[in-house]
Amino acid sequence: MSGLPYIERPRWSCALGGALAAAGNIPGVVPLLHAGPGCAGNFAWTNNGAAGLNVTGDCLALSVPSTNLQEAEIVFGGIGRLREEIGEAREIMEGGLFFILTGCLPEVIGDDVRGLVDDLSRTGGTGGTAGLVLAQTPGFKGDSFFGYNEVLKTLFEKVVVKTRTKNPALVNVWGVPPTLDPFWRGNLRGLKNALALLGLEANVFFGPGAGLDSVKKAGSAALNVVVSALYGTGAAERFQERHGTGFVRTNLPVGAGGTDRFLKIVGRALGIPARKISRVLDEAGRADYDNLEPLIDVYNDMEAQRHALIVGDLNYAPALSDFFSNDLGWVPELAVVTNDLEPGSQKAVLDHWRGTGGRVPERVLFEHRAGVIEEEALKIFGGTEAKYQNRPGPVFVAGSSLERSLAARLGASHLSLAYPVANRAVLTRGYTGYEGGLTLTEDVLDACIAGR
Amino acid sequence: MSYLDNKIPVIRELRHPETSLAHGDGHFRGLGGRGCAAVSSRADRSFTQGSICPLLPALGIMCSLPDTVVLLHGAVGCGTCASGNNANIRAGNAQRGTPGRDALWLSTALDELNVINGGNEKLAEAIAEADRAYKPKVILAVSGCLPGVIGDDIDSVAAQTQERVGARILPVHCEGFKSRFMATAYDVVYHALGRGLMPDPAEAPAKAPLTVNVMNVGSMGLADEKELSRLLGRLGLKTNFLPVFTDPESFKKAAAAALSISVCPTHDDYFLTHLKEKYGVPYIIRHMPVGVKNTGSWVVDVGRAMGLEDEAKKVVSEEEKELKSALGEFSPVLKGKTAFLSAGEYRSLATASLLKELGLRIVGIRSFHFDEFAEVEIKKLAKGKQDFVYNVANVQPFEEANILAGLKPDVFLGHWHGNSTAARLGIPAQVMYNSGHGYMGYAGAYDLARRLARRVGHPEFYRRLGRHGRLPYKASWYQSDPFSRIRRGGATK
Repeated sequence: MSGLPYIERPRWSCALGGALAAAGNIPGVVPLLHAGPGCAGNFAWTNNGAAGLNVTGDCLALSVPSTNLQEAEIVFGGIGRLREEIGEAREIMEGGLFFILTGCLPEVIGDDVRGLVDDLSRTGGTGGTAGLVLAQTPGFKGDSFFGYNEVLKTLFEKVVVKTRTKNPALVNVWGVPPTLDPFWRGNLRGLKNALALLGLEANVFFGPGAGLDSVKKAGSAALNVVVSALYGTGAAERFQERHGTGFVRTNLPVGAGGTDRFLKIVGRALGIPARKISRVLDEAGRADYDNLEPLIDVYNDMEAQRHALIVGDLNYAPALSDFFSNDLGWVPELAVVTNDLEPGSQKAVLDHWRGTGGRVPERVLFEHRAGVIEEEALKIFGGTEAKYQNRPGPVFVAGSSLERSLAARLGASHLSLAYPVANRAVLTRGYTGYEGGLTLTEDVLDACIAGR
Repeated sequence: MSYLDNKIPVIRELRHPETSLAHGDGHFRGLGGRGCAAVSSRADRSFTQGSICPLLPALGIMCSLPDTVVLLHGAVGCGTCASGNNANIRAGNAQRGTPGRDALWLSTALDELNVINGGNEKLAEAIAEADRAYKPKVILAVSGCLPGVIGDDIDSVAAQTQERVGARILPVHCEGFKSRFMATAYDVVYHALGRGLMPDPAEAPAKAPLTVNVMNVGSMGLADEKELSRLLGRLGLKTNFLPVFTDPESFKKAAAAALSISVCPTHDDYFLTHLKEKYGVPYIIRHMPVGVKNTGSWVVDVGRAMGLEDEAKKVVSEEEKELKSALGEFSPVLKGKTAFLSAGEYRSLATASLLKELGLRIVGIRSFHFDEFAEVEIKKLAKGKQDFVYNVANVQPFEEANILAGLKPDVFLGHWHGNSTAARLGIPAQVMYNSGHGYMGYAGAYDLARRLARRVGHPEFYRRLGRHGRLPYKASWYQSDPFSRIRRGGATK
């Protein structure tokens, strides 16, 4: 952790926010908050300015059932209110699973939510056939990534059907937290497409085309693939304990270089012959070249090579830095990882980065404060009055929307890629896989040539 | 005694005990004669959806203040809505000549250990560090729910830390569970700013006899301020807008004004009574300048109070004449169209008056709450022959979905983040406020009419959504009484 007594403009929300974004983006699941009256609205407004304009969802934003606790419940307890809310939700809301999520208030006042949920699950208490599960996600317990992991743990424990029959071509994939990765839908699609090249079906749980049924069948997968150093790794361990399925942690594969490494890790873990993997990568590389080729003339003659400043979370900072250096031959001068991590976790992120074949730049900073990042960047890019100086430039800032003032100060092009993304509209766009790398090439060049 | 003399703001439930959060029936006109008596203040719901607590709009105001650090004291998620507020803050700063300026908000990010041991110490450290790192004029130490439950004392921490730092430290009480009414946001912010930034009466600046304080709201932008300034300018008056986007130094100017006027009557009594009692600035809280007649009443009220009634009436008559001929071109598209409105109490009622003036037919209104300030506006709307649905609800889209599926209005006007239910039902939706556009005065009436005609005339996007639109409710819910989850007498548990 930073050791600071505050977090500046947090680039994540709390456990409840991450849990709601996860549970609410599994089609068929109705999240139900046992929380204060403003929590749901808070997350909706947060996403307005942070998640590429994505706010609604079948049962998200202000549609999510919530007990909206008031002073009376703080004094007398909120269990009665929760029991009533669950019963009513079962009559009004359409869904196959009710996912109860607790916020700060009930956890501080000591509501026995676990007892109630167990009781209702056992007795079918409030009626209806839909299941009922709980994740305890008060904001003081952790950040959004913690909440994402808790939701996965609960699903793996309570919803995934136990089976001994494994499908060798099915893999579960997670590590891309909905909303916290504003490009999560496109990124999950990119992962599916990449794994399909190896003949694998990727089961991703979240978003269009996935849902409750894909969670239920996850027990029959041959392998779990976590595309993150830390997000959802606890859940992978829980899955293994419960269902005996092993897991690999990979890089978040952005572009050809990253995707090559990703497919090798997954293919090797599944025992796919090296020669087959090599053939697949070769074909994918040729297709990648065919798509990139028309750009050669202008890309070359406009001197598009840049010095990059990368600011992103522990998924994006390594993935973008690797993409710039391996795929474009740009120079990542500084990569800033914005998660608030203890030293042990910082080391785990760096080890994972290197361990999955990434190229860690000389300068890596764990820092979330925009002002401090700006100071560090000025040391590198600021230059002096000297007539001849090897000053890195032109500069490209690949970060969040919070790096806009820094980019303006450096006279650099800028693209919002990591949360918070306030100034882009995201629908199907994603950066994972071979195609994602081409999309990212388009987007960064768009930013460079906006005035052309 | 002014409310501001209390250390902690007095909640709406105590100040206006008639305020209601839950009501619904098909007979708006029935309210006309009875007002608050017709709506139960004890009513609540057996089923609720997530809502908006006072912290959210309060942050919208606080984040707009220049040279101010907003320090959220709570768990790390509490107040991340500032990310959303920031889009408005950047736009507002750009409109006011400082483009690219982000709001500055921090969170003490209370963890499990802080919950057990208390968060006072962390707050004190955060204040000292924020003062050192950002050197702001003001630090707003804002309490979310968590400190209110674990017993932190933000007032004492602020007082004890003050001597160590350069910034003025103002505690702000935004514990969401303490008030059911979002409008409390304005009270708590006024409480903090009023106590911290206003001068001692003896040191108040010299009277400015032609200056009127206009209380702006987070939901209005510079376009509305310019229009209200223009109208009062025609009477030879100067305007002093506060609190949104107001420099901390400028608050003291409010003590010198000749008059204060509200633009949203449900928001301002807390502060304006204080200005009157302590600095002798009289005030008007009566109309919202949204709608043609409403704007006229608002301007004439100011004129009367300033001894310029005849001049004001003349201005109003000229403006109305000019506007009326300009609005003519929208009439073929808008006339006879049915409209449904849902937003803050006053905004939804005043906008309904404007829509009636534009020739639309009101089929339903939802207000986020209901209190005595609305009675004036209710009476205006109840005068018509046609009756319609009236629902008091702090968002609660399940009720709205049920009503809208039956009414199928031609257009829906809703609060920020309150339009997606209508949109998914295929109903063209128009946001009822957006700080980038004009809504107030004559210019605002024209601009809203123009945009409304565009929306109603080109509904294809909403039709497209409606063809495959999904809402998360069971088919059986649409067969139920939309108000069946309202308990008039409140909870019995």
